[in-house]
Amino acid sequence: MKPRGSLSAFAERNGIPVTLYLLTCVGIWVFLLVLLPQVTMLDYSFRANLPPSKVGGPEDVYTLEHYRYFLLGSSANPDGWNALDIGVLVKTLVAALFVTLFDLAICYPVAFLLAKGVRGGGARLLILALIVPFWVNEILRAFAFRILFGATGVLNETGMMLGLWEAPIDFIGSDVALYAGLGYAYILLMIFPLYNAIESLDSNQLEAARDMGASWAQVHRRVVIPYAKPGIASGCTMVFMLSAGALAAPQILGGPSNLWFTQLVYQWFNSGGNWPRGSAYAIILLVVCVGFVMFMMRVFRVSIGAIGR
Amino acid sequence: MRGRLLTGGYLLLFFAYLFGPLVIMIGTAFNSAGFPRLSPWECFTTNWFGRLLADDRLLTGLGNSLLIGLGVVIVSTPIGLAAALMLSQVGAKLRATLYTIFIAPILVPGVVIGLSTLIFWDRVGGALDAGYDTLFYDGFFLTILGQVTFISAYSMLVFLSRLQRFDPTLTEAALDMGATPTQAFVKILLPFVAPAIGSAAVLAFLASMENYNTTVFTVVSESTFTTVLASKVRYGIDPSISAIAVIIVGLTLMAALTYEAAQQRTALAGRIAGNPVLRRLMHPAPVGLLLVVLAGVAVWGGSRVDSSACEAQVLEEKRALQEQYRTAPTPSSPAPDTPAAPRDGGAAPASPFSPGNLAPGGDGGEAPSPAAPASPFAPGNLAPGGGEESEAPASPFAPGNLAPGSD
Amino acid sequence: MTKEVGLSHVTVEFGDYTAVDDAHLTIAGGEFFSFLGPSGCGKTTILRCISGFQEPSYGKLLIGGRDMRGIGPNKRPTALIFQNLALFPLMSVAENIAFPLEVRGVGKKERRRRADELLELIALPGQGDKRVDALSGGQKQRVAIARALAVEPDILLLDEPLSALDLKLRQHMRTELRAIQKQVGLTFIYITHDQGEALTMSDRVAVMSRGKIQQVADPATVYNAPATGFVASFVGENNMFEGRIAAPAGPDGTAEVDLGLGARVRVQAAPGLGAGEAVQVFVRPEALEPGGTAPNRLTARLEKVEFEGAMRHLLLRAADGTALRVSQVNTGGDAGPGPDAPVELGFAPAQAIALPPSELARAG
Repeated sequence: MKPRGSLSAFAERNGIPVTLYLLTCVGIWVFLLVLLPQVTMLDYSFRANLPPSKVGGPEDVYTLEHYRYFLLGSSANPDGWNALDIGVLVKTLVAALFVTLFDLAICYPVAFLLAKGVRGGGARLLILALIVPFWVNEILRAFAFRILFGATGVLNETGMMLGLWEAPIDFIGSDVALYAGLGYAYILLMIFPLYNAIESLDSNQLEAARDMGASWAQVHRRVVIPYAKPGIASGCTMVFMLSAGALAAPQILGGPSNLWFTQLVYQWFNSGGNWPRGSAYAIILLVVCVGFVMFMMRVFRVSIGAIGR
Repeated sequence: MRGRLLTGGYLLLFFAYLFGPLVIMIGTAFNSAGFPRLSPWECFTTNWFGRLLADDRLLTGLGNSLLIGLGVVIVSTPIGLAAALMLSQVGAKLRATLYTIFIAPILVPGVVIGLSTLIFWDRVGGALDAGYDTLFYDGFFLTILGQVTFISAYSMLVFLSRLQRFDPTLTEAALDMGATPTQAFVKILLPFVAPAIGSAAVLAFLASMENYNTTVFTVVSESTFTTVLASKVRYGIDPSISAIAVIIVGLTLMAALTYEAAQQRTALAGRIAGNPVLRRLMHPAPVGLLLVVLAGVAVWGGSRVDSSACEAQVLEEKRALQEQYRTAPTPSSPAPDTPAAPRDGGAAPASPFSPGNLAPGGDGGEAPSPAAPASPFAPGNLAPGGGEESEAPASPFAPGNLAPGSD
Repeated sequence: MTKEVGLSHVTVEFGDYTAVDDAHLTIAGGEFFSFLGPSGCGKTTILRCISGFQEPSYGKLLIGGRDMRGIGPNKRPTALIFQNLALFPLMSVAENIAFPLEVRGVGKKERRRRADELLELIALPGQGDKRVDALSGGQKQRVAIARALAVEPDILLLDEPLSALDLKLRQHMRTELRAIQKQVGLTFIYITHDQGEALTMSDRVAVMSRGKIQQVADPATVYNAPATGFVASFVGENNMFEGRIAAPAGPDGTAEVDLGLGARVRVQAAPGLGAGEAVQVFVRPEALEPGGTAPNRLTARLEKVEFEGAMRHLLLRAADGTALRVSQVNTGGDAGPGPDAPVELGFAPAQAIALPPSELARAG
């Protein structure tokens, strides 16, 4: 007998009603909610920006105009390159990378302690303490950092009171507040993948390594980190993608002259009233971020299956 | 020993980073100063909370958010479960591919999801010649779909971690004993994943409530709690926003403690099962009830705080100070033309600054927000508690475009 | 009611890998039948074929003479007891036992009555409302059996159900399983890698290796007259000698064999083995006797004595380096030969067998 098609085997194992439920739900999700909108947006990004009355008319043609604009700026641009927008993209990527590394650095010790250092009730309490701040709205968290870093914020007041600096430091204008806020926002997304990865490491391995004379630094470098690599990749990917794609924090914490790339998308879309160009910018953001993550994953030899674990 | 000290110190710093900003924000909610700050401390007040209740825009947004959250839960939970079930059944190769597809919406920037959802349904609506009052242009419909796109992946992760502990031989055993596949699903698998349905629903609801990046595009002319909050924060910040944080943190702590009680109860199930008193005491319901009563007492106590005498005194001191240092010809220089204000007067950011308006609690909802956006730093406004305007977000956009739904 | 199970040239392939290779046998109704073999030999795949979780790639599976192709596990007259028992953790003991009735739409009262009856049968009366995880290992075992019996199957399939138990309980459960089988009179098909279980409980045993059935026989035959080198070495302990037929088997069924270690012995052999053919000769450790008068003689040097309570094992080495093992009943007192002493061993022709060489056979 020939092996049957996997679909009919699937249906047989689940029964018809459950199979229908599974296929309908996943189908709606993947096609109607994820793929088709993305494809439509891609299509849209190649179209001219037209008022509704002209859509479908002779002027509704495919064009590379929006991508050209991103690279070269308006046709009157003397420089040849759209230095402003490209600069914003590069700055966004670099800043997101910085936020990711910052989160990795501060979360790794906590994740390790959580996974191997504390037991039972203590660990539960720590986890609860980690989760509670993240039930607070994203906007409010950013707001808290505004209060903290403002010209008359707690940090400036304290610093000046202690005589560390004379005049208020512009933390917001120099993006310190933004980085601190973004780093804060994604702590949980870094800690949990790290925790999950380290937690499954057999503690005997740590003891064995210590027993063989390894220092703690060597234990981490040779045993824990290689083992936790998928978790590290997962956490870094999520933090990077989400900080590069953040909108609320840059809007609230960003300095007046420092834009985040998502803000450009928002701008074209809202005030600019140019949806196709907004789409093109969104596509650029998506492609560049995904490409960057893929590249890093290849460099560090991890598979995408690690994400979310 | 040294290592232990280092570890303790590190954890202390880490949790200071985690809780410090929240604690400070909570503190500012009780300071009568017009700008959220801890120092100088003026008067202990609960007026900022009263301000919230009178903020119609915020309350409407909250109502909308609850509705949207409910819709997201109803749609994303079955989708997440279906995706997790599918992943748990297919072969390793297909699983890797499917997993990549399913996890992608989490990684795609929310802005991109919002934008693509909006464009797609706009196109569908256009193709069907549907009017602007139809579903395709409805903020609720679009926001639910946009959020479901990635929240389903969160739900899926919750279900996956539950299903990982499921023993597939249980289903086989049920089939072997004559159950149909549907019966095996309903009687064996579903009861097993049931606890995760609750977690996934709560996660989906919270994620929906707090989402901004996607919602700000899909909400069109409606508003949600988060978009109202964002526009409040960006227009001009005042301690009533901190008051919101106090309420949310309070609710969170209550929920967390109730949940923790429930967890402890299951953890101790064996030990307390035989003790009816302990069993009832540890039940999450009385724990929750106790917390609600405590919160009620706090609210009642808070509503009785009258800070007007203290505030009048502070105002008097300020006046005196201003009198002393006055260099400008007029004590109150009105802010220059402020840009288009949001429709509602409750949190009107456009109200011109004048020291006289600093007295809070005068007439509740009508009290103008003291921090006007983008108003320049006027020397006459240097008086303590009045000079914070410079911090209002100097948005790169025309502020008129910042109101959610203005497109 | 019992039904016979027929495997007609059943082959199961997973891609390039053949898990079961042309299994062909009939299990009689009411029989306690075991599949014995090391892990990966294909025994579990055969069980999954019978229960309906796996369709054979080739060949037919018949239950009571009826072809089972296309009939799902929930429609077959079989009940399977899983290796991990697969008791439903969210249901009480009685709910577990009554589950097969529940899915058949039997009413609540009747279900409870049947569950109580079965609890009686497995000697756990009145325990129906307990949680499954409040039971001991042996009790869980019995609940799993009761649940399978609630299906009222014609055939009960057991997939190494005792492997998770400790030694004492395992031995106890062997007796109990056999007793239950006698009581309910069903066909039991038992999968195990533990020869002790297979030999003590079964009416007949099928020994499997690498997807192939090596021998189907009653336990005594499997032990005393193994059909292949694999069976000889897998079931029980055995000494193996390489050799060559000197004189083919006569009418008494014994042949003369020249052993590699330099002795000519007379052993049982199949008549088909001609002079000069290479063979492997197997002699059980308990059949080798130091001294004695048996006609077949070997000499070896004693290396070590292992003491194991009731038994004593002598480890020896022949001149050509072949390791030998001799098991004696410990009679106490006698210290036996000292180390390094040359020992002469004897064994009777009826207690040794020559088989065609098999790479699967291993000495000891």
